[in-house]
Amino acid sequence: MIIEMKNIRKSFDGLEVLKDISFGVDSGEVVSIIGPSGSGKSTLLRCATFLETIDGGEILYMGEHAAHTDESGNAVYVSPHELRHFRSYCGLVFQQFNLFPHYSILKNIIDAPVHVQHRNIEEAKTEAMELLSKMGIADKADAYPYQLSGGQQQRVAIARALAMNPEILFFDEPTSALDPELTGEVLKVIRQLADEKMTMVVVTHEMPFAKAVSNRVIFMDGGVIVEQGDPLKVFEDPQEERTKQFLRVFER
Amino acid sequence: MTLTTMISTMAAGMLRTTGIFALTLIGSLPLGMVVALLRKSRFAPVRGIIRGFISIMRGTPLMLQLLVWYFGPYYLFGWNIGNWRFPALILGFVLNYAAYFAEIYRGGIESIPVGQYEACEVLGYTKSQTFMRVILPQVIKNIMPSVTNEVITLVKDTSLAFTLAYQEVFSLAKQISASQTSFMPFLIAGIFYFIANYLVEIIMNRIEKSMDYYK
Ligand SMILES: Nc1ncnc2c1ncn2[C@@H]1O[C@H](COP(=O)(O)OP(=O)(O)O)[C@@H](O)[C@H]1O
Ligand SMILES: [Mg+2]
Repeated sequence: MIIEMKNIRKSFDGLEVLKDISFGVDSGEVVSIIGPSGSGKSTLLRCATFLETIDGGEILYMGEHAAHTDESGNAVYVSPHELRHFRSYCGLVFQQFNLFPHYSILKNIIDAPVHVQHRNIEEAKTEAMELLSKMGIADKADAYPYQLSGGQQQRVAIARALAMNPEILFFDEPTSALDPELTGEVLKVIRQLADEKMTMVVVTHEMPFAKAVSNRVIFMDGGVIVEQGDPLKVFEDPQEERTKQFLRVFER
Repeated sequence: MTLTTMISTMAAGMLRTTGIFALTLIGSLPLGMVVALLRKSRFAPVRGIIRGFISIMRGTPLMLQLLVWYFGPYYLFGWNIGNWRFPALILGFVLNYAAYFAEIYRGGIESIPVGQYEACEVLGYTKSQTFMRVILPQVIKNIMPSVTNEVITLVKDTSLAFTLAYQEVFSLAKQISASQTSFMPFLIAGIFYFIANYLVEIIMNRIEKSMDYYK
C-alpha cells in the first residue's frame, strides 16, 4: 500500500466532516472519489496531503505511520521534520491550479525540485522539459501562467507535482474550474498517467472518465464512504440507495 | 544675496533633505516588514503592542512625534544626549514611516490567495522559503502603487524637519526669505521638491514596469 488511512475523524468547529473513514491505495491503482458537494472529499485529500490535521485515526505512507491515535483517541503526528519526509511521498493538484504567477512555466516546475529536494538544476530542467513535452506544452516553457489557458495551466500544475517524483498523486476536481471544452485535454494526460501506472486518487464529477480510467470508485456522502468498488459495478449496479440517487442526477 | 548664492545655499539644504529622505527609506522599508510580521505574530501581547504602536504612529502628527523624540529624553528622563538633533529626526521619521509601510505590507500579504501557501506546503517548501520565494515577490508587485504614494509624501514630509531647526531646504527657505525679505527662496524650494518628486515618479515607474512581466 502506498497510503493507508484508518478511522479518520475530522471536524471543523463542531461540524464532523469525516466520520471514521478508512481507505487505502495500492501501488499503480487509480481511485476515483465521487460524491455530492460538501461530502468531505476535499477534506479527505487535504488530510492525506497534510494540509489539514486529522482529529483521530491513522495515516500511513509506505507502511510507516505519519499519524497515529494515542490512548485518549487523539491523533498524534510525527515531528515536523519527519513530516517533511512523508510529504515527499504525495503530490496534490488543485482545482484552482495555484501556479506561481511570478515564475515562468519552467521555473514553476523546477523551483521545488531545486530548492526543496536540492536537485541539480540542469537535471531538473531536462526532466521538466520532458514532463512539459508529455503534457503537450513544451513550447510554453518560457511563458508565464497568465498567458496560458486554464487547461494548459492545469497541465503545468500536474507537471509541477510530478517533478517531485511523488509515490502518489491526488487530484481535487482538476477540471471543475475549466471551460467544458478544455476538460478533455486535462483528462487525457491523467489517463495517460494511469496507463503508465502512476498511483492516483482523483476527486471528480466526470463520471465517464471515472468509469473508464479508474480501478476503483468511492462514493462519499456526509463524511462517510457509502459504497466503493469496481467502477462498472458501482456505476451500473449501485447497491446503496444514496448512490443510486446521486448517479441518477448525472444521467440524462 | 545673489540668486546664485541663494540657489547654492539651498542646494546644500536639499542635500540634507535628501539625507533625511534616504535614511528614512533605508530604515523604514525593512523595519515596516518586521512590524508587519510581528503584527501577525502568534503571541497576542506582541500583536497588541504592535497594533498600539501603529495606532499611535498614524494617529498623532509626525511633527509632534519629532518633538517628542527630540525633547523627550531630556524632559522625561533628564538625559542630555550630545548631537541628538539628527538622530532624533531620523528616529522619528523611520518609526513613523515604518508604521505606514507595515500597514501597506500587511494589506499586500493578506491579498495573496491561500492557494499559494498551500501549493508551497504540498511541494515541501519551508515557511521561510514560502515567504521569500513565493509570497514576498508578489506582495512587492501588489503594493508598489501604495509605496510610491508614501515615498512621494515622504519627500514633502521631510520639510517637517524644520520643527527641530534642522537646516534642510525648507528651514533654509524660511530663514533666507525672512533675512532677505524675498519670496524667491520659497519658489526655489518648491522647484526643488517638485524635481525630487519627478525623479521619484520616474524611478518608481521603472520599478513597476520591471515587474510587469506577469499578472
Ligand atoms: N476550513 C474549513 N473550515 C470550516 N468548515 C470547512 C472547512 N473546510 C471544509 N469545511 C466544511 O466541511 C464540509 C466538507 O467540505 P469539503 O471537504 O470541501 O467537501 P467536498 O470537497 O466534498 O465538496 C463542508 O460542509 C464544508 O463547509
Ligand atoms: Mg471539494
